[in-house]
Amino acid sequence: MFKSTILYSVIAVILTVLVCFIISTLLPGIERKYVHARIQQRIGPPVTSPGIMAPIKFLFKENVEVSSPVPGLYKALPIVCFIVVLCVLIALTPYSFAIPALSSLVAIVGFLKVEEICYVLMGALSKSVMSVKMPFPDVVKGAAHLNTTRSFIEDISARRSLRMITYGSFPLYLALFAPVTAARSIFLQDIVQYQHVHGPFLFTISGGIAAIVFFIGYMIVLNEYPFSIIKAKCDVIEGPYMEYAAKYRSIIFITRGFLMFTLGALFSVLFIGIPPNILSPSILINIVVTLIFVLMMGIFSAFTPVFTNRQLLPSILGATLLGILAIVLGLL
Amino acid sequence: MDEKVPRSNIIETEIPLGTVHPAALEPYRVRLFVEDEIVQEAEITIGVNHRGIERIMEGLPVEKANSLTEKICGICSNSHVWNSCRTAEIGLDIEIPERARYIRVIMGELERLHSHFLYLAHGCETVAHETFSMRVFYLREIVMELLAMIGGNRVQYGCSVLGGVRPRCDLDEAKLERLKTDMDKIEEGLNGFAQRFLADSILISRVTGVGVIPQKQAIKLAVTGPTLRATGVARDLRTTMFEYDDFDYNIITQADGDVKSNLLMRVLESFESIKIIRQAIANLPEGSLVNRDWEMFDTDIIESYIEVPRGTLYHSYALESGRVRHCIIRTPSMANIGAMQYACIGDHITDAQLSIVQCDPCFTCTDRAIEIIRR
Repeated sequence: MFKSTILYSVIAVILTVLVCFIISTLLPGIERKYVHARIQQRIGPPVTSPGIMAPIKFLFKENVEVSSPVPGLYKALPIVCFIVVLCVLIALTPYSFAIPALSSLVAIVGFLKVEEICYVLMGALSKSVMSVKMPFPDVVKGAAHLNTTRSFIEDISARRSLRMITYGSFPLYLALFAPVTAARSIFLQDIVQYQHVHGPFLFTISGGIAAIVFFIGYMIVLNEYPFSIIKAKCDVIEGPYMEYAAKYRSIIFITRGFLMFTLGALFSVLFIGIPPNILSPSILINIVVTLIFVLMMGIFSAFTPVFTNRQLLPSILGATLLGILAIVLGLL
Repeated sequence: MDEKVPRSNIIETEIPLGTVHPAALEPYRVRLFVEDEIVQEAEITIGVNHRGIERIMEGLPVEKANSLTEKICGICSNSHVWNSCRTAEIGLDIEIPERARYIRVIMGELERLHSHFLYLAHGCETVAHETFSMRVFYLREIVMELLAMIGGNRVQYGCSVLGGVRPRCDLDEAKLERLKTDMDKIEEGLNGFAQRFLADSILISRVTGVGVIPQKQAIKLAVTGPTLRATGVARDLRTTMFEYDDFDYNIITQADGDVKSNLLMRVLESFESIKIIRQAIANLPEGSLVNRDWEMFDTDIIESYIEVPRGTLYHSYALESGRVRHCIIRTPSMANIGAMQYACIGDHITDAQLSIVQCDPCFTCTDRAIEIIRR
């Protein structure tokens, strides 16, 4: 009996993850084709292109050996990111509720932090040809400054990622803990059960405010405009991803779509009380919520320029204050 | 407005950007000396696209040399060939038919529109506002099609020839009607863009007070064109060009010398260009397109300055047995490089490319000329 339950749970988790993964591959395409392209009055790429065809294409490309002081670690980081996102999604399924260490908010925050730290490492370990190594005589005759310390542009990216870990993603984590104040538990099972009894947390004042904060944090964690300072095209170009090619770039593309879905599912669990489960029709709600997030993010990013510190700090401060307000209201 | 002082004695890190960089449409290298992501000093190096067109022009028959100048730039190609022809026309005292003068003005102003729209689109793209960028590119497309209608090409029109314009660039009734209709479309689209741009508080906060060039500094650095006018100096060479004597238009200026002023400057100047084109369409004189009644003789060095979309364009050469000698071409970006370097100082590294872009660089033009530095 126990063995069959375990087997049943494992199969259900695998199927849930598989279905979520397939849907997640369409999300970047939906954002680009049906939001960005429509707003910008152009045709846009095929919906399968950014999330499915591009990763497949990259899988079969010949890899270019990266220029990194620790190439092994550098190449492993996209895989680590993917595994981390996978773990978060597994933790959200109702079958993981039996393992409290996995299905608690502390574990989820920990996983997301690992994903953020990967960006710091990626930036710090990338030494691309795009700046210092460009075969161009920088220090030409008559140059104003000789013998200065020279930096790779990915170093800026690494520093910015560190800054985002320190305070940038703070609103998201505040929003994650807002439902805890209502359910009085950090375990997902308790949060879900609380909402089954009292109705979705989203429809409370605290929940509404926390949902706004969550959305801002969602965009920050996904490095989407206007918060994409770690990969701003105007200076650091692709930032931490600069040196990734072929299968590594493919994994990055896949992970992005997967993270979009996982964060949407996280919202469904914490704010609506519906965990992703392939054996329940409620998974449709997870999908709809994810789609709403993607559409909203697409609209917002299409109409905003990339922020610098001047805009970023007040935005994050504002979102943080809203997050604190949500928690305080939740405690009352 | 306080003058920004480069802190050349405290340089923490150098971050080289380019020569290949997605925010820069052209190949150039900028060394940014930064301290805590704030630019303390910038140094731009160009020259990777050098072709030495001035040297190639030496000894060529003047008609061939004129055609060659069109290849200097992909954006202001018409301005180069116009000014090159103008140089010889001044030296050889060639009178230009009225109709040809008007068509040259129409082409010049259409080119100004397409250059300014490219500037606006590139500016919006540099701040990562792709939606606005795309919308301006759609407006620019109308202008490009008009240029193709008159000149037969989207980039190299070959409109001006010695003594007037090519007969294929003549404007018949159908072309004039299309010009008129499209000017209305462009005006409407530009109005919409300007309103949306000014109403977008996030974008405005992103471009206000960035890349400031004070008026005093702009004059000191010999900045030209709209970049100078964006600092409040009402200097436009069109007021001194006889081609523009018949037209009524305003010299647009802005006060602040920052990215916002520069962007608005181009929007408002575009409206003036539309005004000039409408006047040219309404009063287009009848008559011949090219004056072939002139004689070639040797001249001393002839100089011609015209106002092109990005500033002052200078062409000079002497004529000897119908061939070009001592050719010198100076493009606006040559004068504006100092301003680009200055504009970056004190701003965040993310704004460095924006500060350079606000000076409307055209390094492909500049690279192809020769600068002889005598020490």
